[in-house]
Amino acid sequence: MWRIALKGILGRKARLVLTSLAVILGTAFLSGTAVFSATLNQTFDNLFSDVFRNVDSYVRSTQVIEADFGQQERQRIPVELVDTVKQVSGVADVQADIQAFARIIGKDGKPLGTEGNGPPTFGSVGQEFKGALWSISQGRFAAGPTEVVLDEASAKAGKFVLNDTVKVVAQSGSREFTLVGIASYGDVRSPGGATFALFDLATAQEFLAKPGFIDDILVSGDGSLSDTELAMAINQAIPGTYKTETLTGAQITKETQDEIGTALSFFGILLSVFSYIALGVGSFVIYNVFSISAAQRQRENALLRAIGASKKQVTRAMLIESVVVGLFGSTVGLIAGIGLSKALSALLKAASIDLPSGGLVVPRSAIINTIVIGLIVTVASAWLPARRAGKVPPLAAMRETAIEYVALSRRRTIFGLVLIALGVVSIVSVTNGASKTLLGFGILFFFSGTITLGPVIARPVALLLGKPAEKFRGVTGTMARQNSARNPKRTSRTAAPVLIGVALVTAVAALAASISSQIDGVFTQQFKGDYAINTTARGFGGLSPSLADDINVMPQVQRATGIGRLTVKIDDKGQFLTTINPATVEGVFDIGLISGSYADLTTETIFVSEKYANNHDTKLGDIIQVTFADAQVKTLKIAGIYTYDEIAGKYTVSRDLIKDSSVISFDLGVFIKLKPGVSNESARSELQAAVDKYGQGTLLSKREYIDSQSGSINQLLGLIYGLLFLSVIIAVVGIIITLLLSVFERQREIGLLRAVGMTKSQVRTTVRWESVITSLIGAVVGIVLGVGLGWVIVYALRDQGLSSFSVPIGSTVSILMMSFIIGVLAAVYPAWRATRVNLLAAITTA
Amino acid sequence: MNNPSDSAAARATNVSKIYGHDDSEVRALDNVSVEFEKGKFTAIMGPSGSGKSTLMHCMAGLDEMTFGSVTIDGIDVASLKDKDLTKLRRDKIGFVFQAFNLVPTLTADENIRLPLLLGNNKGNEEWIQKVINTVHLQDRLSHRPSELSGGQQQRVAVARALASEPAIIFADEPTGNLDSTTGNEILTFMRKAVDELEQTIVMVTHDPVSASYADRIVFLKDGKIAGELLEPTPELVLDYMKQLGH
Ligand SMILES: Nc1ncnc2c1ncn2[C@@H]1O[C@H](COP(=O)(O)OP(=O)(O)OP(=O)(O)O)[C@@H](O)[C@H]1O
Ligand SMILES: [Mg+2]
Repeated sequence: MWRIALKGILGRKARLVLTSLAVILGTAFLSGTAVFSATLNQTFDNLFSDVFRNVDSYVRSTQVIEADFGQQERQRIPVELVDTVKQVSGVADVQADIQAFARIIGKDGKPLGTEGNGPPTFGSVGQEFKGALWSISQGRFAAGPTEVVLDEASAKAGKFVLNDTVKVVAQSGSREFTLVGIASYGDVRSPGGATFALFDLATAQEFLAKPGFIDDILVSGDGSLSDTELAMAINQAIPGTYKTETLTGAQITKETQDEIGTALSFFGILLSVFSYIALGVGSFVIYNVFSISAAQRQRENALLRAIGASKKQVTRAMLIESVVVGLFGSTVGLIAGIGLSKALSALLKAASIDLPSGGLVVPRSAIINTIVIGLIVTVASAWLPARRAGKVPPLAAMRETAIEYVALSRRRTIFGLVLIALGVVSIVSVTNGASKTLLGFGILFFFSGTITLGPVIARPVALLLGKPAEKFRGVTGTMARQNSARNPKRTSRTAAPVLIGVALVTAVAALAASISSQIDGVFTQQFKGDYAINTTARGFGGLSPSLADDINVMPQVQRATGIGRLTVKIDDKGQFLTTINPATVEGVFDIGLISGSYADLTTETIFVSEKYANNHDTKLGDIIQVTFADAQVKTLKIAGIYTYDEIAGKYTVSRDLIKDSSVISFDLGVFIKLKPGVSNESARSELQAAVDKYGQGTLLSKREYIDSQSGSINQLLGLIYGLLFLSVIIAVVGIIITLLLSVFERQREIGLLRAVGMTKSQVRTTVRWESVITSLIGAVVGIVLGVGLGWVIVYALRDQGLSSFSVPIGSTVSILMMSFIIGVLAAVYPAWRATRVNLLAAITTA
Repeated sequence: MNNPSDSAAARATNVSKIYGHDDSEVRALDNVSVEFEKGKFTAIMGPSGSGKSTLMHCMAGLDEMTFGSVTIDGIDVASLKDKDLTKLRRDKIGFVFQAFNLVPTLTADENIRLPLLLGNNKGNEEWIQKVINTVHLQDRLSHRPSELSGGQQQRVAVARALASEPAIIFADEPTGNLDSTTGNEILTFMRKAVDELEQTIVMVTHDPVSASYADRIVFLKDGKIAGELLEPTPELVLDYMKQLGH
């Protein structure tokens, strides 16, 4: 008797493990991403708590321009304020500070650090200062226009020793310096992997910024005043016309940390969105496992009912089991998630997004969230199966085999169709002008409808997709096909996670394909040159404006023109201006000017896009007031209107507009047209030499350039695919669990087949094909939904300039192949289990 | 060791099957030697637990014996690896079990041809049609097992056992779950298969009437051969069983 009881528990243990597996995976991603985000936050917090450790006050401009995507540009302040601050009583020492873009070029001519991604590359002021973090470890601080100091890590990475010549690229161009010192940053050699080139104040102003201007002033007190008092004293000393503010060291530290926190929170939200998608997918698997296990226990439950257990008791028994599974699963998931967060760091590293490493942080909220959400999802998923289990008629105990209740209600069909119809109506009505918020509902309706209809369509779709298996695999194929169709509810529940994963991947791929083809079209139309110099730096740094000028005068080159971008304020809102060089732009970069001419673009004028002109009802000669980053306000007259706004945006100005201000300006691209008759090959090496002189930017042919523009889309795509991969893993585990339970359920059948001559490899084939068919059902329906979803997203982005929809044929084919492979892989273990079925036990148990 | 001139379709020599060990040892078969002649219908009888099923399983390569040897159509079963053993079951042996004989997802026709289909073997169509006609299943071929009565299901099982023209068919209480009329129908078909189609059948049964369809009855008791009866009638069988103290 003991033995039987023990065996029962052991049998249950296997089921417990299988059910828990789905919970574990779902919650692991939840806790993994939470732990990862928290760790990342903590890492950056620590990093920035050091920066202003010995700074008591911090003086800066109050003038900030905020543009889209949280980018902000703070004005510079005049350098003469340094002396004013120095005079304030209570101030012991001050340092004028500049934090600007500067890239150190290695001895091999390649810049140190990765362009665009990765930690920033700074140019700054290095001098003796009480509050500074920089301390000289070799040599001395730089003095004079030809000297530079490098941070220890960069010096090591570039194999620089004292007295070496070091080339540095900054906004004003590239220049060579003599290395006179190597500095370390607090106790670390380089903060967070950033590179630093340190100059004396005058050189830094002139080379990194604009002469006469600095970013901020660092103040160290003499201890006679508290930090707050000191800040107030300084604030009073500076005339209000300078528009400055003075923060305490603690305030600026906090602010920096908060800024980073905000920047990271976007990433954190992205991660948690995908982890909730994964959890949603996981809940399907949990629901499926509970349903199957309820079906397999039908006889047991019926027997309980027959001997007097009430409906409630049977239901409650199952719910209690789900609580146990939920607690157990989410606890294991929590722990697994901590391991996963490390894997996530590795994944990002693989996507060349390098993050500083730090100690693991497991916030209490992550622990509570994981367990509570895991428990809720599990119990909620078990709710329906448990209720169904309670409804089992006691008579079912007498039935020969436990087959899942498969009757497909007409109600389900109607309900599903109604949902789909609602979805279609919502989407169609949006295309006819209704509010776009309906799109979201449309998608939701459509997905819910499809999933509701799942069991109805699973059988015909399985039979259809199984046809080839039957054709090529004979009777094993027939059986696989029939097996995948025999239990439509189960099949559809197993395929649903695959469907969701595939639909999302397909939608993203469709979006990417549309963007890519659009980019391709736009650049082909607007870029008329032969070569381009590209930079992957975004927002911070770029190509020196003199690069375009240098190339423009090369003998092989007919024209070279630089395109840059400025952040300004118009009508109190941050806006981007595209800067062009009106003298060289014509015939190389086409903005589709429909009125005015490039010659009209002076320091007094501005061009606007046709769309802008229409929306704002403006015409030539109207006035636009622009506030620049240095608080300069200019009144510009509209002198031209253009149609191609995909690259140029709403406003285009001459780059001369800011020539004499402290506003930073880089080119983001240089477009080059060769003289007629100059061969591309010979020109290329000359151009490359010119680019190499600056040590920055990548020379690309027209085709390469256009492809590289879509390339950055693909990088983002890689990240999204990586995150969706989590859901795909859960879907695969779902297939594995279902197959295992099905194999368990079909032991007798498998035993019979083995008895009448099915070889082990045929058994495996049957399971494998069943798996492949199930996976393909999810993939095929998922692709159809995904293409639809992609179309809807592209449609919703129409105003953002996305005009054409492309079906991602390549991705679709690879998704199909992937799901085939996934089917094969998911079947490996269940198929092996199937061959281990005890032949005699299977056929002799009555 | 293939010896086609052998008159035995299957032969067991000194076969023992021991379950468990030491104190809890159960000798399900104790040094059993028996031959089943080609083209004959043999019944195996004996009290519950006497080892009838065990003998069939050992002879059919479904279970391993502890000692002794078994040959099917001259092939030494013990020497075969799993793959060849599976092929042997598929090509040389037919099975009819008491219940759960058919694959629920396949039609009657597919179930009948299952061993052939598994072997990627077209089989002898003429023969298959003859078998189907013999068991009267012509108009039920496209049905699935769930759409067939118990008797019809057993007829499909018999047809499947016959389909590959095996050297021998083992049937373990094939009529155990059927009422006597339906049972007799099945037994008549099996008899016909031996007489008209020259098949070899070994059948386990508890029922003297069923056993009387056979050419010969082998009695088992406590894992040993307890006796034999040729040309049995139900009365002879009952007498014999009384003699054995059943
Ligand atoms: N797997 C096993 N483990 C232990 N003992 C077993 C096992 N299978 C069978 N036995 C024992 O072997 C003996 C023979 O069993 P077998 O099933 O061959 O009997 P049988 O003659 O077919 O009986 P029945 O007429 O009830 O079907 C019995 O005593 C049984 O308890
Ligand atoms: Mg038996």
